[in-house]
Amino acid sequence: MVRVWDVPTRVFHWALALAFAGEWFTRDAPQLQLHEFLGYAIGALVVFRLAWGVWGTRWARFTSFPLSPGAAWRYVGALLRGRAGRHVGHNPAGSIAIYALLLLAALQVVTGLVALGAEQRLGPLAGLPSLAAGSLAHDAHRVLAWSMLGVVCIHVAGVVVGSLLERENLVGSMLTGCKHAPADASVAARRGVGVALIVLLVLSAAAWFGLRAGDARAQRASAALALPRDARWQAECSGCHLAYHPSLLPARSWQRLFAGQHEHFGEDLDLAPAARQALETYARANAADRFASPVAWSIAHSVAPASAPERITGTPYWRERHERVDPAAFKRTHASDCGACHRDAESGAFSALAIRVADARPVTTVHRP
Amino acid sequence: MNRLALLALLVPLLALAAPVDDLLQQYRAQGAKDFSVAAGEKFWEAPHPDPAGGEPRKCALCHTTDLRVTGKHAVTGKAIKPLSPAVNPERLSDAAKIEKWLERNCKWTLGRSCTPQEKGDVLVMIRSK
Repeated sequence: MVRVWDVPTRVFHWALALAFAGEWFTRDAPQLQLHEFLGYAIGALVVFRLAWGVWGTRWARFTSFPLSPGAAWRYVGALLRGRAGRHVGHNPAGSIAIYALLLLAALQVVTGLVALGAEQRLGPLAGLPSLAAGSLAHDAHRVLAWSMLGVVCIHVAGVVVGSLLERENLVGSMLTGCKHAPADASVAARRGVGVALIVLLVLSAAAWFGLRAGDARAQRASAALALPRDARWQAECSGCHLAYHPSLLPARSWQRLFAGQHEHFGEDLDLAPAARQALETYARANAADRFASPVAWSIAHSVAPASAPERITGTPYWRERHERVDPAAFKRTHASDCGACHRDAESGAFSALAIRVADARPVTTVHRP
Repeated sequence: MNRLALLALLVPLLALAAPVDDLLQQYRAQGAKDFSVAAGEKFWEAPHPDPAGGEPRKCALCHTTDLRVTGKHAVTGKAIKPLSPAVNPERLSDAAKIEKWLERNCKWTLGRSCTPQEKGDVLVMIRSK
């Protein structure tokens, strides 16, 4: 057995695998802070791997595994006929998986940063991309995640098949670094430089994120939107419920709600004409179709032009976003009480970073002897 | 001279204490008789059938029987600050606000506006808590 994979290559491989798994399980709102942090870490890992592909040891260099679909195709054919033979470094099919995963990981970092910059107005691109670009990037981010999972599955399947047919434990070799190979294929472990580089890059990614961490970050995300406020709106609406920001429904919905003010969900608002006029003007001037926030943009685009929902929970965007929320969380509170989970509900910002799922409030029972 | 100064002092004081007394005066002018805390308490708990078939409606449904504690909106679940002026000094301090909420909440609870007598009884009852 001869050492083929140096330490930094192996550390990179497993760090990326762990980070990808982490990203997969933190994709929903309450864990988005961790999701974002792992994204920076993946960016750092990709940068490292690109550098190591040029300055690393022999088998880690891109020149030792050129991208060649023809060679990969011939290799798979030979492998299935049982005549492939062992490869010291990456085999031609494996190299395709490596390039695909590096490309996908890089694209995920980019689409993630665009979506974050547009929709949360955070990160290095804060506020730069348009909301339309952010929405597109977000969709791409979802599709690419599944593509990446697909490539990972093919890669794992290839490793298993290759290990069996080449009679070489490929998983083990990525752990120990050793494969069956001629003695002159051996590379130095080169712990120092490479590992130091990985640690440095990942630490700077963590520092980049850490500078913006915590609740303050969520508050900034919400404050960055600086949505308009109105004292009369606040006073009038908050008597019975959260003064839902007008950007949460399209103008035609507000028109309908004010026209029906004497039957407002079972209550007669009985607003004086002047008050009604002022409130309706404010609501329609700041409605969802003004796109003052990413959430407004999404709601406006989700509602069919012919419909004017009276409830925010009646908009397709609201339903889609709350589909996977634990129904028990809604039992603990009212769906009308957005603030139970969205700490920035009052402002209307609804930043994904300001979400904290409603606490369980168990009924305490007192046991008496 | 002295009497004038005393009057000048009293006017703003009266204006401060006025909202409920002013309203009670109006209600009397509209035909209400003497107001009583007991009648207000009875009114507070009297149930009215819910047209939607839910729990019978009454003032206490949202505001609870104890006016010194926080209530809860029957539809939205929003917390309602205590009505007792002793606990929550903001209460009964603004005549327009009192009238607005009496009108809106009577309509929801009873399906009609309250009579001047009912409103007066409730106001003296709330003031006594």
